[in-house]
Amino acid sequence: MVARVWSLMRFLIKGSVAGGAVYLVYDQELLGPSDKSQAALQKAGEVVPPAMYQFSQYVCQQTGLQIPQLPAPPKIYFPIRDSWNAGIMMVMSALSVAPSKAREYSKEGWEYVKARTK
Amino acid sequence: MSESELGRKWDRCLADAVVKIGTGFGLGIVFSLTFFKRRMWPLAFGSGMGLGMAYSNCQHDFQAPYLLHGKYVKEQEQ
Repeated sequence: MVARVWSLMRFLIKGSVAGGAVYLVYDQELLGPSDKSQAALQKAGEVVPPAMYQFSQYVCQQTGLQIPQLPAPPKIYFPIRDSWNAGIMMVMSALSVAPSKAREYSKEGWEYVKARTK
Repeated sequence: MSESELGRKWDRCLADAVVKIGTGFGLGIVFSLTFFKRRMWPLAFGSGMGLGMAYSNCQHDFQAPYLLHGKYVKEQEQ
């Protein structure tokens, strides 16, 4: 009797946890249109770091531990779009001048060989 | 489609993919722990579903360049 009640309780607890997770996803429209997902990600980016900081401060106050300040991460600026576009333009200009350059170099090479064999 | 609009669409696609894959993975973890005895397949299933939904959204976004993304503004009662 007790075992049955306990297994029923376990099932209800698991069902409520899973149902709560599904409801949360539905309420926040995380699996909906891309606009809502982008807004949810932005909101998470604004809310999570201060919440984590406050939680760490609360843990420090309660336990008396001092968490050392981590140095700020280095800001890396690498414009992917600009370097990609510059790379594409360089490759295309190299391809466009390749026949004339090849002709020029082969002509120079031929003149050099001719001059050496005289 | 201008380059800035294309850039915005790519940003939206990436953000959407991150959210959907993460949500699918999270739901997979919940169901794996509660009902499926800590098996791995709910995680793979959830992540795969999220990836597929994000891909479908991105495909629709890039193939329909003339749709405007608006938002609902509730009328304020006077």
